[in-house]
Amino acid sequence: MKKDIKEKTSFGVWLKKFVSRPGVKSVISSLICILGGFVVGFLVLLILSISSEDIDFADSFRGLFIILGGPFSAGNRGDALYQFGNMLFNCTPLIMTGLSVALAFKTGLFNIGAPGQYLMGAMGSLIVALSIPTSVIPPILVWLLALLVGIAGGMIWGMIPGLFKSLLGVNEVIVCIMTNWIAANIVSWVFSGSQFINVAETKMNFIKKTSVNNVMTPTLGLDKLFSDGSLTSYMDIGIFIAIAIAVVLYIMLNKTTFGFELKACGFNKNASKYAGMNEKRNIMLSMAIAGGLAACGAALWCLNGHQDFKWEVYQSLPDVGFNGIPAALLGGCNPIGTVISAIFLRYINAGGSNLVGQTAFNEYVSQLIIAIIIYFAGFAKFIKDVVIDKWIAERRKKSAAAPAKNKPDGGKED
Amino acid sequence: MSEEINAVPENRSDYVIEMRHITKRFPGIVANDDVTLCLKRGEIHALLGENGAGKSTLMSILFGLYQPDEGEILKDGKTVRINDPNDANALGIGMVHQHFKLVDVFSVLDNIILGVEPNRFGFLSKKQARERVIALSESYGLNVDPDALVEDITVGMQQRTEILKMLYRNNDILIFDEPTAVLTPQEITELMDIMRGLAKEGKSILFITHKLNEIMAVADRCTVLRKGKYIATVNIADTNREELSDMMVGRHVSFVTEKSPANVGDTVLEVRDLCVKSKLHKKNVVNGVSLDVHAGEIVSIAGIDGNGQSELVQAITGLEKPSSGSITLCGKDVTYQGIRYRNTHGMSHVPEDRHKHGLILDYDLKDNLVLQRYFEPEFQKKGFIRSDEVKKYADRLIEEYDIRSGQGAATTVRSMSGGNQQKAIIAREFDREHELLVAMQPTRGLDVGAIENIHRDIVRSRDSGVGVLLVSFELDEVMNLADRILVMYEGEIVGEFDPKKTTPQELGLYMAGAGRKNAKEESAE
Ligand SMILES: Nc1ncnc2c1ncn2[C@@H]1O[C@H](COP(=O)(O)OP(=O)(O)OP(=O)(O)O)[C@@H](O)[C@H]1O
Ligand SMILES: [Mg+2]
Repeated sequence: MKKDIKEKTSFGVWLKKFVSRPGVKSVISSLICILGGFVVGFLVLLILSISSEDIDFADSFRGLFIILGGPFSAGNRGDALYQFGNMLFNCTPLIMTGLSVALAFKTGLFNIGAPGQYLMGAMGSLIVALSIPTSVIPPILVWLLALLVGIAGGMIWGMIPGLFKSLLGVNEVIVCIMTNWIAANIVSWVFSGSQFINVAETKMNFIKKTSVNNVMTPTLGLDKLFSDGSLTSYMDIGIFIAIAIAVVLYIMLNKTTFGFELKACGFNKNASKYAGMNEKRNIMLSMAIAGGLAACGAALWCLNGHQDFKWEVYQSLPDVGFNGIPAALLGGCNPIGTVISAIFLRYINAGGSNLVGQTAFNEYVSQLIIAIIIYFAGFAKFIKDVVIDKWIAERRKKSAAAPAKNKPDGGKED
Repeated sequence: MSEEINAVPENRSDYVIEMRHITKRFPGIVANDDVTLCLKRGEIHALLGENGAGKSTLMSILFGLYQPDEGEILKDGKTVRINDPNDANALGIGMVHQHFKLVDVFSVLDNIILGVEPNRFGFLSKKQARERVIALSESYGLNVDPDALVEDITVGMQQRTEILKMLYRNNDILIFDEPTAVLTPQEITELMDIMRGLAKEGKSILFITHKLNEIMAVADRCTVLRKGKYIATVNIADTNREELSDMMVGRHVSFVTEKSPANVGDTVLEVRDLCVKSKLHKKNVVNGVSLDVHAGEIVSIAGIDGNGQSELVQAITGLEKPSSGSITLCGKDVTYQGIRYRNTHGMSHVPEDRHKHGLILDYDLKDNLVLQRYFEPEFQKKGFIRSDEVKKYADRLIEEYDIRSGQGAATTVRSMSGGNQQKAIIAREFDREHELLVAMQPTRGLDVGAIENIHRDIVRSRDSGVGVLLVSFELDEVMNLADRILVMYEGEIVGEFDPKKTTPQELGLYMAGAGRKNAKEESAE
């Protein structure tokens, strides 16, 4: 029996140490948030099913499982594969805007300008991809050029709030919001009445798909792998590019002198100035890179070749730009964490779409549930800093008291 | 002791607060190890211990900021549980923190009533509060203006605001965590008077300081901690400075630094007609200062805080732009050069404000120790940080400068004790290759043992040919270390003295402006 107690306490000690590690702490707090989101989301479903005559009580349970199942709650294997492929494709822009927000956060900046940077990226890449004839230049080169031009557009757009902040001390949030709307109007203006509008399919609200010019992100057959047999999904190598960029960012932030400076500026501007770092340059660079990341997400989405880009955006900014914020927060502003949380958010999204098809809940409910989960993501930091620390403190207290009682010779493990 | 205290009924303990067998562990360190501290009603009880001995931790436990792992707290003989500062407040316990907790853009009055805002039908009604604050301020001689903005008032007045905050909440157990570290000698004397007055009114005071003569002057009893352990509680009447310092450090500490005559070499710093404009008003806060520092000498600037010393140092080190004049470092004009250039061309700088400039609190110790060197080939290869080299370097400095913390090189600096944070800065700046050391208040918040070490290090680097510009508000330190003393008053250098030929009294007169008046009269004649 004595042995039992000992094993339990040593496990407790191990658990306490494990949980105290900063990385583990972030992950656990994000998981707690997600769980909280699900619980509340489920309660909403429950209440709706009880209060509405159209919705069966059992639907609330089914609804929960459908959301949890993501793309896999599609009716059959083929559908599930197809949805899974599309989900991975849709992850790409969200990962990139998430990385954009996360990187700026690390430098102490709030990049709420991702939507605008995203639009500039989309515009740059679309114009290049649709205007350079692939009969002259190989499509893959046009693709690459379009990607780079898109990224450059976003970098310039991200640089603007960076310049304002570092040279004039204007808060980046205000400038970001203004540049968002300026971007929206520029894009609408440039495309309005232009030759890029998709007249062939009479989709007047949309730009031509880049596949008309043969410009498409390579798929390596993944689109066919993830298909329901007849319909191929949109899956391409974009998501691997996004993940590779996340890895590069992770290394940059944690292993390089440049990352050392960026984070130093984020934590304490004055001290980094004291240390001789060029804080103004770092703010500009950080914002420019953040802009480039968001734009890269846009370019990867547009250059897929099969997407309809809605050009009339002067009244609505792309939500993937804003959703980068919860993706980054849920991922603890860590590049790898951001990738995972972006995939998770898209997974839930896929589940939400299935909810509409398979239960009596309408699409607004599925959006609501997703919003609740995203909302809970905002608590990640609170849970990390308050709840978990408290729990660790309690455990320490207990484990300190326990051995003293069990072995009078005094426990000396700490 | 007063009548009242004797009149306390038998069944109540003599002690207002008893902290019994308190143990508090942090990752890698036992900050308090079975510490017992008993506070008598109406006494001033000093808490003494080296940097990182666990003083702030013990007080934070009493104030409800941390929960003890073991041990209990008794108020008036009854066990109490203090879960958070609200509980502490309800028990009449108030605290002035090592680093103040005031809202800069609020007025003094707003800061005082923050959290206990008086209201009528939900609307703020400040009139009574204001009257009460003024009455309290007068009865304890605190002399604060309730309508001034906190960012505009001196550190001393900010501190008195913190005291008023406690009094306003009817606290009668007052904790002062290193209140004198940021004060000028005059303000310290005032604070001591205030504390005596409070104790006479029956308030019980816990007082943390590293300055032994303050303890000797004002405290009734003193509890000594060493490395988290309780050493002793002594009556001040029965002890002396040396005994206290020996008890606290565990060895004998000398208060006078041995030093041989200066071996003066080339000029390393040449400042000519330097003017710096104030950020608040457009007047010059540094007004035509010229000075030289030579290799192998310690030049010390004495003066009362707020006479332009901070701005002078910031201009020399590049944190602030001068409006006119020139700065020459080792023969190179650096007036318009950036901080990185100065850092890599022979300047080391111990900044005045360690949290604002000196450290990145969320970085770990090793990253802070290479804060100006991470880009050097030793620590970096093709832009990648060589983390094992950084670790090796940090471990050496930690060892050499006795920087104490829970997890060594990997400790987050925020969790380190104030004194050890300062030691980290000292280690970093002293170890960097430099020909000029600009140090502003380098021993602020350090214990006597650490001060002795740093003074010895300063003299040692002087002997190795470094020029030292030392700015200090403490005359003892200036007299002890300097080879030459410059007195600064209202942005000007008003006199130069040889420490062997001057007295603290004479310096004091010049610091108060006597020098300049003489000069003016002379030129008028
Ligand atoms: N929140 C914390 N997390 C981890 N370790 C901590 C924390 N607070 C304090 N410590 C550690 O506990 C020890 C005691 O710290 P404390 O601040 O009580 O020292 P102190 O006696 O006030 O020293 P000083 O005179 O330098 O202010 C230090 O080694 C410090 O690193
Ligand atoms: Mg302390």
